[in-house]
Amino acid sequence: MRYLLYRLRRLAIVLGVVTFITFLLVNVLPGDVAYEMAGMDSTEEEVQEIREELGLNRPVLIRYVEWVGGVFTGDWGTSYINKENVWDAVTDRFPVSFELMLLAQILALSMAIPAGMASAFRPNGRADRIIGALAFASVSMPSFMTAILLIFVFALGLGWLPATGYEPLSTGLWANLKPMILPALSLALVEWTILMRTLRVEMISVLQENYIALARAKGMSNLRILWVHALRPSSFSMITLLGLQVARLLGGTIIIEQIFGIPGIGRLLIHAVYTRDFIVIQGCVTFFALAFVTANFLVDVAYAWLDPRVRTGGSHG
Amino acid sequence: MHMGEIILDVRDQRTSFATARGMLAAVDGVSFTLQRGRTLGVVGESGSGKSVLSRSIMRLLPGNAVVPGGSRVILNGRDLTRLSEAELRRLRGPEMAIVFQDPMTSLNPVLSIGRQIMEVLMFHLGMKKRAARARAIELLTAVGLPQPDVRVDQYPHQLSGGMRQRVAIAIAIACEPDLLIADEPTTALDVTVQAEILDLLQRMVRERNMAMILITHDMGVVAGRCDDVAVMYAGRIVEQAPVRDLFRNTRMPYTAALLASIPKVTDPPHRKLDAIDGRPPDLINPPPGCPFAPRCKLADADCDQGKPMLEGPAGHLFACIRPLGQETAA
Amino acid sequence: MADVTSSRQGTQTEDKPQIDMNMVAIAMHRRSRRLGLYFWIPMIWLVIVAVACIFAPFWGLPPADEIDWVYIQSPPVEGHPLGTDNLGRDLLSRIVWGGRVSLTVGFAAPFIGVGLGLILGLIAGYYRGWADEVIGILIDAWLAIPGLVVLLLFSVVFGGSLFMVCVSLGLLFIPTAARITRAATLNYAGREFVLAAKAMGASDFRIMRKEIFPNIIWPLIAFILIDIPIAIVIEGALSFLGLSVKAPTPSWGGIIAEGREVLSTYPHIAMYPTLVMFVTVLSFNLVGDAIRRRLADVREGAI
Repeated sequence: MRYLLYRLRRLAIVLGVVTFITFLLVNVLPGDVAYEMAGMDSTEEEVQEIREELGLNRPVLIRYVEWVGGVFTGDWGTSYINKENVWDAVTDRFPVSFELMLLAQILALSMAIPAGMASAFRPNGRADRIIGALAFASVSMPSFMTAILLIFVFALGLGWLPATGYEPLSTGLWANLKPMILPALSLALVEWTILMRTLRVEMISVLQENYIALARAKGMSNLRILWVHALRPSSFSMITLLGLQVARLLGGTIIIEQIFGIPGIGRLLIHAVYTRDFIVIQGCVTFFALAFVTANFLVDVAYAWLDPRVRTGGSHG
Repeated sequence: MHMGEIILDVRDQRTSFATARGMLAAVDGVSFTLQRGRTLGVVGESGSGKSVLSRSIMRLLPGNAVVPGGSRVILNGRDLTRLSEAELRRLRGPEMAIVFQDPMTSLNPVLSIGRQIMEVLMFHLGMKKRAARARAIELLTAVGLPQPDVRVDQYPHQLSGGMRQRVAIAIAIACEPDLLIADEPTTALDVTVQAEILDLLQRMVRERNMAMILITHDMGVVAGRCDDVAVMYAGRIVEQAPVRDLFRNTRMPYTAALLASIPKVTDPPHRKLDAIDGRPPDLINPPPGCPFAPRCKLADADCDQGKPMLEGPAGHLFACIRPLGQETAA
Repeated sequence: MADVTSSRQGTQTEDKPQIDMNMVAIAMHRRSRRLGLYFWIPMIWLVIVAVACIFAPFWGLPPADEIDWVYIQSPPVEGHPLGTDNLGRDLLSRIVWGGRVSLTVGFAAPFIGVGLGLILGLIAGYYRGWADEVIGILIDAWLAIPGLVVLLLFSVVFGGSLFMVCVSLGLLFIPTAARITRAATLNYAGREFVLAAKAMGASDFRIMRKEIFPNIIWPLIAFILIDIPIAIVIEGALSFLGLSVKAPTPSWGGIIAEGREVLSTYPHIAMYPTLVMFVTVLSFNLVGDAIRRRLADVREGAI
C-alpha cells in the first residue's frame, strides 16, 4: 500500500512537469494563434487586441496556474479556432483512440504470447529462429509502412476490408470493428515484437527453475507447463512494458488515425498543431500524459494480481 | 505387491552432456536393481553424478544430454528408454515421483499449494476438482502439515522451508508411485527439521510399500534409514553394499574418506574434520585409471592402468584393486 | 543454454566413438561465435546505400526536383529506372537524395541523444541525492509524452531544418540513455579504483572522464546501434506526416506519403521507397544485433 502511495505521488509530480513543459513549448510557438485568428492582412493593433482578449499578453506562469486551476474544475478551455470546449473535444474523440489502442494491444499480445512461448520452449530451435526472423522483419517495418502494405493487400488488392473510415459502435459491433482491424493490426505488428522478446527472455530463465522441473516430474504436459506454470511468473517484465508502451502506442495512433481517417484524439492533435490551436494541443498532451500515468498505475495493480507475494504481503521467498 | 519384487532395474546407464569444451560424462555406466519396500541410499560429493542419475531415471534430462543406446532403465518391467515422451508423462506421478532438494524453489510461487497437488490428481487419476481438493487436504494431513484445510489455499511463500518440503512430498506421493526418488531432500533445510522430513519419508515408504532412492552427500543420513548404499564418484558407483556391511567392512578408500568426514559425537569439540584432499577429476578428460587414484593415499602405479570393475563377493561390490581390509577379506 | 523443457531429452544414440562427439561439440560452439551471412549480407547492402547517398551528386541522376513532363507517374522506363512520381520526378533520384536525409538523421540523432543522456546519467549516478531525484522526475515526465507529440511540437516551433530534426529526434533518446548511464555509473562509482582516484584528490570531472566513462561506454555503444534504425524509422514517420525537412527536399517517408495518394493506380511510387527503407532498416537491425552480440562476447571474456 505504501508503495502504491509513493508511486501515486511520483506520478502526480510527473503530470505537473509534463503539463508545464508542454505549456512552455506551445507558448513559444512563433506566430501565435492571434495572428491566425486575425487573418492574413490584419494590423498589429488587431492582433494585439485579440491577444488581450484571449489573455495571451500576461506572463506564462500566471496563465499556467490559471489553466491548472481550470483543469481541476473541469474547465479545460475552449478552442481558439472553432470555439469547441476542449474537454468535450478530447473526451469525444478519446474513446475512438482507446478502442484502437485496446484492439492493437490485444492483437499484439495474442501474437506475442504464443510466439514468445514457442521461442522460449527451445531457444535456438527452429521455431525460435523463424519467430526471431519474423520479429526482425516486423520491427524493421514502421507502422505507417505496415499500414500502407496492409491497405495495398487487404483493401485495394483483396477488397476484404475498407481502407479508411470509422463507424460508431451504435451501427453494430462488426460494422464498428471492420474498419478498425487494419489500423489495429498496423500498430500491433510493430508492438508484438518487443512484448515477444521480453517474454521470451524471461520465460527462458523461468523454464530453468526447479518448479518447472517438478512440474515435468509430475507428468504435466508441455503445453500445461507453459501456460499454467511458466506464463505468469514470466510475464512481469512484459506487463511493465505494456504500461510503458502506452506512450509509444499513443504516438503510433497519431499516424495511424491520419492514414486511416479515424476521428480519434490523434487527428484532433495533428489538426490543432497545424492550426496552432494551442489550448487544444495542451488539452491533448495532458490527456495523453494522464492516460500514460493511469496505464502505469494499472500495471502496478496488475503485479498484485500476478504475484501472490505482493498480494498477501509475504516477505520471504 | 509383495516384498522382493523388483521395481527398478538400471543397466549400464550413461549420461553425457555436450558442452563447449567437449562431452562431459556425468553418469558413466551405472547399474543396480531396487526391490519393493527397500531404500537405496546414493551417496557422493557434489558433481559425482548422483543428481544426474536421478534425472536419468526419471528421463528428465536437458536437451544437450546424450544417452547411448546401450543404457536401460526398466521400471515395473517397462523399459523407459524405449518410451515416448507422452508415455513417460503417464508414468511420472503414478509410477515414479521425485522430491527435489530445495523446497524454496521447487514449488511454483504463483500457484496455491492446493492447486499444485490437485493438478496431479486431476491429470493422472481423472479426479474432479472437488474430490481432488478433498484428497489434497488428506495428503497434507498425511504429511503432517498443520491446519491442512487452511494451508491448502496458501501460496508457497507463506510456508516455512520444512512445511514446503512436506508439501513437495505430498505432491510426490499423491498418485501412490512405486518408486520415490528423494534428491537431497533435507540439504536445504534447518538441521532441526531434517530428521523430521527423513522420518516422514521413511514412514511414507513403509506405509505405502514403495521403493525409494535417497540421494545425499551425507553419510550420516544414510546410516539409519537405508537398506543398501551405493557410493558414487566421478559418475560411477565405486562401492555398493547393505548399509551395515558398508559401515563395518568398508573396502573402497573413497568410502572410508567419506566416512571419516562425518563428525562423531565422541569427537572433542573443534576437532578438524578430515576433508578429502584434492578435487574430483575433470569429467571431460577423465584420468585413464581409477578416477579416485590421484587423491587416494593407497594408490600405486597399477591404479592408473584402466578403470577397476565394480565387483565383489556376497552383495558387497567395490571398484578398487587396492581395497581396504585386504587381510580380512575372504 | 541448457534447454530444460525439450521434450526429447537425452537423445538416444547408437554408440559412437567419444572423440567424435567432442569435436562436434567444440566445432558447434566455435561456429556460433562467427559473424555469419546475417552480418555480411546486410552490411554489403548498407555500404551500397551509404555510397549511393554520400556520392549522390556524381551518379548523373536527374535532379530530385526536376519534373519530366513526358513521363508523369510512369512505371520504370528508359532514363527513369524506377519510374517517376506523381509530378514526374525521377523516383530513383528522389530515393537516393532522400536517403541522405534518413542516414544523416539516423546517425546524428542517436549521438546527440546519447551524448546528452550520458551527461545527465553521469550527474544523476555520480552525485545521487537531489540531482538524481530531479533528473529522475524529468526523465519520467519526458517518457510520459509520446515521442511523436514531442516531435510534432518541435517541428512546429523550430521549423523543418535538417539540424532541428536531428536535435529533436535526439531528445527522444535521452531518457533511456540517461537511465543506462545512471545504472552503470552507480555500479562503478563505488568501486575501488574510483575511491582510489578520489583519495588521490582527482576532481569529480576527471574521475567521471577517466575512471567511469571508459567503463560505461560499451552499453552506450550497443544502445546507439539499436537507435540508428529507430531514428530512421521515426524520421520516416515524421516526414510521412510532412513534419520533417521542408517540402522540395525528398525524404523516404515523404515519398511514401506522396505515393500513398495514388496507391491504387500507381503502387510502385509507394512500394519502391518502402522496400528500400525496409531493407535498410532491417540491415541496420541485423548488423547492430551481430555487433552487439560480439561486444557482449568480448566483454564476457569468452574465447
